[in-house]
Formats: sequence, C-alpha cells, structure tokens
Amino acid sequence: MSEQTDITDYLAEGGKLSAPDNAPPRYRAELMRIMASFVDSELAGAAGFADCINMGPGVKERIAASRIVLEKHDHAERVLDLMGEFGANTDRYMQVHPWTERVDRDEDIGATRPGGDMRLNVFWYPIESWTDAVVMNVLMGKATVIQLEELSRCSYQPLAEAFREILLRERRHMELGEEGFARLQDAGADNAALASSFDYWRPRVAASFGGRDSARFALLKKFGLRHRPNADLLTEWEAMVEAVVKSVSA
Amino acid sequence: MAQFYPLRVTDVKRDTRDSVVLTLAPPVGDEDAFKFIQGQYLTFRRSFDGEEMRRSYSICAGVNDGILRVGIKKVDGGWFSSWANDELEAGETIDAMPPMGNFHAALQPDAARNYLGFAGGSGITPMISLIRTVLDAEPKSTFALIYGNRSSNAIMFREELEDLKNVYMGRFNIVHVLESEADIELFSGRLTREKCEALFERWVDVKNADFAFICGPEPMMLGVSEALKAHGMDEKAIKFELFASAQPGRAKKRAASAGADAGAQTKATIILDGAARECDIDKGAQSVLEAALAADIDAPFACKAGVCSTCRAKIVEGEVDMEANYALEDYEVERGYILTCQSYPRTDKIVVDYDQ
Repeated sequence: MSEQTDITDYLAEGGKLSAPDNAPPRYRAELMRIMASFVDSELAGAAGFADCINMGPGVKERIAASRIVLEKHDHAERVLDLMGEFGANTDRYMQVHPWTERVDRDEDIGATRPGGDMRLNVFWYPIESWTDAVVMNVLMGKATVIQLEELSRCSYQPLAEAFREILLRERRHMELGEEGFARLQDAGADNAALASSFDYWRPRVAASFGGRDSARFALLKKFGLRHRPNADLLTEWEAMVEAVVKSVSA
Repeated sequence: MAQFYPLRVTDVKRDTRDSVVLTLAPPVGDEDAFKFIQGQYLTFRRSFDGEEMRRSYSICAGVNDGILRVGIKKVDGGWFSSWANDELEAGETIDAMPPMGNFHAALQPDAARNYLGFAGGSGITPMISLIRTVLDAEPKSTFALIYGNRSSNAIMFREELEDLKNVYMGRFNIVHVLESEADIELFSGRLTREKCEALFERWVDVKNADFAFICGPEPMMLGVSEALKAHGMDEKAIKFELFASAQPGRAKKRAASAGADAGAQTKATIILDGAARECDIDKGAQSVLEAALAADIDAPFACKAGVCSTCRAKIVEGEVDMEANYALEDYEVERGYILTCQSYPRTDKIVVDYDQ
C-alpha cells in the first residue's frame, strides 16, 4: 500500500512511469481505459471512414480519405501494442467488436458509449455523404488534436511518446479535412448542406470532450494522466470551430 | 430425440467483411438426413469454455444444387458467429441437427406464380434458398427481392444475386434499399412500412403477388407485413422467418442453465480507490463488473469481452468462475487475479480488490 502511495505522490508531482511493472493497479486500469478509448475510437473511426473513400468526388479526395483510414489503423496498432505490454490480447482485440456498427443517424446518445467498445460517442454516428464526411473530419480533427495534445503530456511515458508521434499525423488529418472543406467551398458547395452537417456534428463532437465536471478527472489528474479539465479543452475547441462555422453561415 | 451429426466443413468463404459462407458435408451414409426443403435452417452446437451453445443458421442453397451451405454473419458479442467468422477453418467438423423450419410454399412445377421476398441484412440467407429453388423448379414463376442493408459493402451474396439476375433474366428482380449511399431517395433508408408503401406504388407489384416471404429484424418484418396487408395481401400468404441475430448473442449465464442458483445472491465487497463498498450480485446472472457498475461503483473496464484486461482485480475472498480469459496469464490467475467482466461468483460471499 505504501508503495502505491509513494508512486501516487510521485505521479502527482509530475513524475513519469516508463514500464508496466511500476504502474500501480488503479493507475494501470485508468491508463488502460484511456488507451482502449483511443484504440477503439481509431478503429471505429477508420472503419466508418473506409466507407467514405468511395464517396470522394476526385482522386485527391480519395487519396486523402485512404490515407486517413490507413494511418488511423496504424495509430490504433501502436497504442494497442502498448496495451499488449500490460497483458491485453492484441491478436484477438480486433475481432471483439463490430467496428462498423453505428446507431441511427437521428439517435442522440449524448456522451454515452452504447456498444461494448470504448470508442468516443462521435464514432457511433453514421456519415451520410462526402460533404458530411468532410465536415465531421474538420470538427473532429480539431477535437482530436486538442485531446491528443492533452494526452501527450500523460505520465506514462511510452504512451506520451506514441501520442506525440501520432499527433503529428492527426494534425495532418485535420489539415486534410480543412483542405477538403476549402475545395468543397471553391466548388460552390451547397451552403445549406454544409450548415446542416455542421449543425449535426457540432454538438456531437462537443460531447466527445466528456462532462464539464468529470469526477474521474480528479483521479486522472492525481495520476498525472490528465492535466487540463474537459471544460478547458472544450472551450479551446469551440474557439477553433467558431471561425469555420462563421464561414459557412455567411 | 433430435440427433446431432458431425458435418465436415469443406469450405469457408468470406462473403462480406463480417460474414462467411460455410459449405458442409454430412457424414457418409447420413446424406439423406440432410436433404432439405427450401428456406430451412440447421441448428449447430458447440461448447465455449464448457458451456454448450446452440445456434441456428438458414441454409442458403437451392434444393437441387447438391450442396449444403449456411451463411453466418458476425453478431456483436456473439460467440458462435465470431468463432465461425474468425476461427473456423475448412477441414474441421461441426455438430448439426438435420434441417428444420417451415419457411416456404409447396412447389408447383407447372404454376406461374409471383413471389415477393423481403430481406434485411443476414435475413437474405433463407431467401437465397427460396430464390434458387423456386426459379429452378417453377420455370414460369417470378421472384422479386427487396433487400435492405446498411450500406453496399454489407450486402451478403451480392455477386451471387447478380449472377442469378443474369441467369433468370426477366424472372428475377432485386430492389436494393440502403441506409446510406443510395442516390435515389426511394432506395435509401430502412425497410419500414412507409418505405414499402412508397415502393409498392411503382416498383413492387403486390396485387399480382402470390406469396411474400419476410426475414430480417423484427421491426422490419412488422413494417413490411403491415404494408402488404394494407395493399390487400392475404395474411396467410405472408410468411415470416425470425432473424438469426434476434437470438441472444452471448453465452447463457451459468446459473441460468444450472437452475439451482436462480434468484440466489452473493454478497460482494468491492475495494476501489481505498474504499470498500458492499453490493449484491445476482448469482449466475451478473458478472462482478456488472454488479459493481449497477451499484454505482466506478469500476474500471473497457472491452467487456475478456480481452483487454482493464477490469483486472484480485479476488481476496471467495470464488468465481471466469467465463472467458484471453488476457491474464496463468501465473496471474494463480495469484488470484480475475477479469471482473467475465467473473461470476460461485460462493455466497466474495471480496474483490481493484487496488491490488
């Protein structure tokens, strides 16, 4: 017990862990949750986005979508390998959940996770069209970058390092979304369709940040797994999307 | 008494991302037991961690095709369908009962009849048998298939259906209804009553149809049959086959089969973040994790399938049965670690510690 308390103090003061062996049980469990949530979100997101490749209007768009699908799988694999070091069965993991499964478009699941996996709420909703895919990617791309910047500071060093590398590419995915969005606008996309997709995805992506006063946050902060509260991250995201939303409603 | 026969799996063919088609061969000498009527199904049994599970899958072959096939779509959390999709290989054997079911109309080789088939997702499997049989055995009959799927890549037997369209040109038609991707509004969405009403206006001739066969999720079956009745189809001409995934996907809980434990409770002490809390667990019906979550204890978990090990805890007192363990090593189990999502109490009292 005292050993765990010592490590907890160490973590609360900004200490880092670098191997499964020195992770206390509760720390291990919360770390696994974070990793599973990321892996599941990447797998489910990629599975859903794979269907969008064929919706891409041009070769460039399809390359971008393919690349996103490829790299999200790669990101999932990197973090899944880290889970494997803690005992997760990486061979079987992929087969456990139906990653393409979605709820009905008009269902509202809030911040819940309706299925058996840990993907963020937003990856439970179906994408309707290329325009819809681009809008979702712009909004969730920004959210992913903010969420990964936060997690890149986490106290489990191997994960922090993995997230830092992943962040570079997720940032590129966000940019691909923005480029796709600009191309849609240049091509004279229907503003009403864009606005309707924004209205659809905005609250759903916002919900992916979790509750404003999450009780779990205190524990995660104590473990050094999180630093900034959900509300701060959400506010940052809202400021980022405001400009894009304005360009659509204008 | 129903008898099981060991069928040899002669081929496992991936059909879509999450479905396979198995070709099966009855034991030599027992071939007659596996002669089937179109639209029938086979019931399989297999043990998962000592628990017997039975699952039924429709035969998807025509009666004169000289082949026995079933299509199995992977169901969320379904042990059997996951095993068939991920692990089963040609050459293995699988226990099955002779064909059963009554999802057909008696064949009349000289008759010129119009059949309607409504399939949702894997509800296509018995339709394949009906379509292949009817078009072959009743040369003057027609078959119109209305087939609903989530998206085009979820369409089972897609190529085979296209081939059938070519073989039976003019006698076999397909209307695909997709929840996403379809360009035309009429063909997008779900097979609801309203969707059927719209299709019946121009695309589907209900008035001249002799039979309608419906197989899919329950709400879809109800919607389709209501629309058919509203368009004057006789209730007796409408045949239903319950969708395979309506069966519970997970293995039966131990006590539910044992019976003796029904209603029994285990007193559990759950230690988490330095606090010990009590909760009751419905013996056999609830896992340790489920009971803890139901008691508002914020126990850690992720996959709930015994794979990720996030829900690992140490059992300090009492005993549990672990239904599945794909994550803990033998030495961890020896030291008392359990996957709480897979653990069902065996004793009347248990103490589980997430802090160790």
